[in-house]
Formats: sequence, structure tokens, C-alpha cells
Amino acid sequence: MTAKNHLDGLKFKTQFDASVESLPGADLDWFSELRRTAMSEFVQTGLPGPKVEAWKYTNLNSLCSGKYDLLASAGGTTGGISPFEDFHGSKVVFTDGFYDKANSIIVNQDGVMLISLNDYLHSDPDAAQKLFSENVERDSLRELNTALMTGGYVLLVDENTKLAEPIQIIHNSTASSSDKALRTKCFIEVRKNSSAQIVEIFAGANEQNYWRHHVTEAIVAEEAELEIYQIQQEGDQAIHTADTLVGVSNRANFKHYSLNIGGKISRTEIKPTLSGLEANAELRGAFLGRNGNSHDVFTHMKHMMPEGTSDQIYRGVLDKGGKSAFQGKVYVAKDAQLTNADQSNKNLILDRNAEANSKPELLIYADDVKCTHGATVGELDAEALFYLKSRGLDQNAARSLLVEAFVAEVFEDISIELVRAKYLELARAWLDEDT
Amino acid sequence: MLEIKNLHVEVGGQKILKGLNLNIGAGEVHAIMGPNGAGKSTLSYAICGKDGYEITEGSVTFKGKNFLELEANERAGEGVFLGFQYPVEIPGVSNMNFLKAAINSVRKYRGEDEMAAIDFLKLIRAKAAELEMDPEMLKRAVNVGFSGGEKKRNEMVQMAMLDPIFAVLDETDSGLDIDALRIVADGINRMRGPDKAILVITHYQRLLDYVVPDFVHVLANGKIVESGDKSLAIRLEKEGYAGLGIDENAA
Repeated sequence: MTAKNHLDGLKFKTQFDASVESLPGADLDWFSELRRTAMSEFVQTGLPGPKVEAWKYTNLNSLCSGKYDLLASAGGTTGGISPFEDFHGSKVVFTDGFYDKANSIIVNQDGVMLISLNDYLHSDPDAAQKLFSENVERDSLRELNTALMTGGYVLLVDENTKLAEPIQIIHNSTASSSDKALRTKCFIEVRKNSSAQIVEIFAGANEQNYWRHHVTEAIVAEEAELEIYQIQQEGDQAIHTADTLVGVSNRANFKHYSLNIGGKISRTEIKPTLSGLEANAELRGAFLGRNGNSHDVFTHMKHMMPEGTSDQIYRGVLDKGGKSAFQGKVYVAKDAQLTNADQSNKNLILDRNAEANSKPELLIYADDVKCTHGATVGELDAEALFYLKSRGLDQNAARSLLVEAFVAEVFEDISIELVRAKYLELARAWLDEDT
Repeated sequence: MLEIKNLHVEVGGQKILKGLNLNIGAGEVHAIMGPNGAGKSTLSYAICGKDGYEITEGSVTFKGKNFLELEANERAGEGVFLGFQYPVEIPGVSNMNFLKAAINSVRKYRGEDEMAAIDFLKLIRAKAAELEMDPEMLKRAVNVGFSGGEKKRNEMVQMAMLDPIFAVLDETDSGLDIDALRIVADGINRMRGPDKAILVITHYQRLLDYVVPDFVHVLANGKIVESGDKSLAIRLEKEGYAGLGIDENAA
């Protein structure tokens, strides 16, 4: 740790000291202790600064200059987002970072446990303690989340169980969220030969400068499948940091889709560890930015065992005043022979005043692997534009059709039609917005 | 129908067309032949309004309208179709959606309502069948992974769907085997009619065996240097451009 590389996090320590007794789970000694440990770990490092390589494209200075206080409880009513009314499965709502029981629906299914994190801490403290003691890589933002998070959920899918309907997770915010940090944490475990699909929506009102800070830890057991679909449409002044850490076992599949269209600063981290034989991970995402949006997608794919496959496809569209970064790290351990890892990031710049950064990074220690990567930043193809115009489409229609197609490719193979349609609808709406 | 007078066109500061005159009347099929680099493709782009083709002098009038004031899409709305020498691949846009967008854009330009989905489907199935296109290809992305012949056939399907008044076909015959050539020729001949006109641009005479033109022009060094009937094309095939005193390589 050096002062140069990190931003001071003492402000959060002060907040913590003042409120640790009133945070959810404060009645559980072991949990308060866990929070204290996490906070002291966090304070040692502080927030990652612009000189930290992984954070070179996203400046968290505004987290230091802004307030980002704790909220004592969820404020007011929610609105402004469009969940999937046609899903009949469970819906878990977090309002301002707190579990919103009144707006949530838990549909019971044999072999499936879906419970708010606070309830889980109290109903099964031993198991909860075990969840929190999982040995995960240290990361100062994750420590801060553990120290100060106010809500979350736990999903356990038993062996040989298929989740009947996708679960919706809705992260909302209210007018009380300005100057506040909204922190949530979730644990997902999909056991042997089971499957689960989660659709997670992050949304909030414009002109509220809240910080959404969400952490996911997931385990996909042997021959199991987990699909996470994230939609980030935060308010225009929001800072959004979402961190997904997942372990993928023998012949298990993990899929992560994301669409980033909101927020002032968004940082999406997805870090799968393929710890089993023939494990598979697919990451797909699009980020669309203009008018001060800054999106940063950071992936770290770790191949630890032989015959794993991974595939990453990311598309960025940057219009006037938009900025993005894709940092894709692929690590192939010495033992991970016959790994097949692909990565592609293409970016489309629609205006001279827009910026796209792409940084693939491959660390390969095995000698019999197939790894590919490609990164491009370019403008709309003038030949394609003229082709469309010669067939009657005006400039705007031709441009929209091309950009939409560029984005749609990422979401082509989504198996849930409603989700695929929602992604396209949101992307289209973004394109149609006046700049 | 189309009147081109004293047309001068520059591309990237280079003079390509240097005073071209051409009149095409309703019901007529014209062929323009010429060596490589004569300005054939430039002429087609100038008529259809591609960016970067600067008109420094002259006029292009279509049905009495000053065409040079219109955007490429407006010219399409007026009823002009350009068959591309190299049709562009558009990943992620299906042929079907592309054609629907094209047809409805042209209808919107003309102040007409969008075509009903069912009518569109009937029309596209009929046109694909007429031009022997596998209906599966309509679902595929525009021209992506199509062979040369399939791309040109796709151009003919688009032309049939858009039903233009005037079509410019820029070396639509290049790179085609004899079966594909027959299909393209068939597509062009289907369009012929008393109210329609066609300008076929070609390097070789062989397409003209299938699409018999009313007039043949030779374009060299940015100008029409000779005009005649179909016998001119046959003469060119026998004697080459050298027979007309044109140095093909220096053009």
C-alpha cells in the first residue's frame, strides 16, 4: 500500500464507527466482529486510485469528495423501472440497499432456498458464518462492502434441481438515496446437476448521486448451470460498482450477460475461476455511453484445470461525451492444458468527442492451449451506411439499424426470450434518445 | 426520364468524369461499357448520391427534378435503385428486416402507410421464389457468408421488392458463373416495361446476350466517346477497346 496508489478511506471508517451498532446483524457478535475485521482491512488499503493498473480508466475520486453516507433504512416508495411482469418466479426487491419485503415475492420450490441475507444470518448463523468465511481473494472494495452492507440475499439450489422460473432481483433507489451509499451482498450456490437463472436489474432516479455497491459470490457445482443477466440502468448521477466472483466446477457452466446504459460511473467486474475439469464460462455484454457516462467492464477469467472453455464477447457504443473501458484478463494456469479461451471486444465510436479503451491481457502458463483475443475501436462503416441509404433508409434510420445490429449480436443466443427482447428494447431506446 | 448534362465529378480531388452527357427515356435499356478506370462506377455513385463524389459541374435531372439536391435515400424514394458491384455485408441485420425497413422507408418518403406484415411476407416469398432464392436466406444477415452469385441474386430480390422506376446496375454481372448470370439477367428482364428504364454498366459483352440493350455507350476517360445500338457491344467484344482507339491500360 502506498498513499499515492490509493485514495483515503478514513471517511468510511468514521461512518462505520458511528453506526456499527445499528447495522443489520449487529446483534450477532461474530457478524459485528466480521464487519470490524473487514473495515480494518479496508482502511489499510483504502479505495483503489488511478495509479492502480486495474483502475486506470475509472477514477473513484468522486467517492472521496462526495458524501456517500449510510442510510438508516430504506426511504420512500420506488418506481421508474420495468421488471418482467411475465415471470412467475420469485422477485427480490432491494430499495436503497435494504431488503424490501413488502415488494418482494418468494415462490417456494422444493430444493430451492431463497432468503434475505439478514434473515439467513439469524435463521442459520452457522451456515451464514461459513459462507462469509469462504476464502476469497482480498479486495478493498469487497471488504468495504462486507463492513457496511445493509442487505442481500442467499440462494441455494439443491442437487438435481432445476429452478422453475428465473429469479428477478431488483435494486431500486428512492429520492432519499442522494449522497448515500447503497450496499448489498449476495451468495449463490447451485449444487450438483442443478440450474438457476437470475435476472438482476439496477435502476434509480436521475439527479440522485448515490453509490450502488453490489457484490456477488457464487459457486456452480459439478455439472450445474448458473446464468446471471444484469441490466444496469442507474440514474444519471449514480456511481455503480458491481463485483461478481464465481467458482465453476467440473463440467459446470456459468453464463453472465450484462447491459450497461446508466450511471455516471459504472464498474462491472466479473471474475470466474474455472476450478473444475471441462468447466465452461461465457461472458457477454454491451455498454452504451454518452453525455458523461463512463463504463468500465473488468473481467478476469482464471483457468485452473484442464479442458476448460471460456468465451467473452463485449461490445461498446460511445456517443458524444461517453467513455468506456474493457479490460479482459485471461489467466491459464500451468495445469490447465487443453484450455480453449476466446475473447472479443469491439467498440463503435459515433462522435469525435467519445472515448473507448480496450485492454486484453493474456497470462498463459500451460503450453497446449488455444487462446484468442481481438479488440477494435472504429466508426460506422460508410459503405454499409450508403448501402442502406441507397435502399431508402434515411441517415438516422440507417445508423440506428447498424448500431442496433452491432449490439444485438451479443445477445443473440440468450435462451430466455423475454430477457433477450428486454435487452434489445433497452438498447433501441438508448439509440433513439436525443443527444 | 434521366437527363445527365455535362457532368463533372471529382473523387478525393481527382477528376473522374469530365463532361458526360446521357439521356435515358422511359422503356429504354442502356448499356455503358468501358475499360477499367474509365469512371463507370463513379457515374453510378454520382447518379445515386454517394458521399465523397463531388459534382463540380453539370446536372442530373430525374423526371424533371434536380437530383443533385437530394440525399441518397431520397433518390431511392423517387424510384431509383442501385445494384452494387460489391454488395455490402451487414452483420446482425437479417435480409427480412432489412427489406422491411427499406420498403417502409420508401413508402414513408412517398407519403404512404407502412406495408402490412402479411402483405410484406406474401410479397417477399413470391419474389424470392421467382428469383429462385432459398427462403432460408431471407433469415440470414444481409450478404454475410453469401457467395458472389448469392449476393448478386440478393440484389435482384431487393430490386424486385422495391420495384424501382429506374435501375442502375453496376457490373452486376462481374464474377458470376453462367447460372448466376442467367438469374441476374432474368431479374433485369423482369423489370423491363414501358414506364421503366435501366442502365446496365458492364465491362464485358456477355450479359448483353441475355439483356439486349436498346442503346450502347462507350465510356472512356470520363466521357462517352461512342454511342450506338447492340452491334457496338458486339464490335467491342471482337475488336477490343483498342479497335475504338482506346488504350485500355492508360485509361
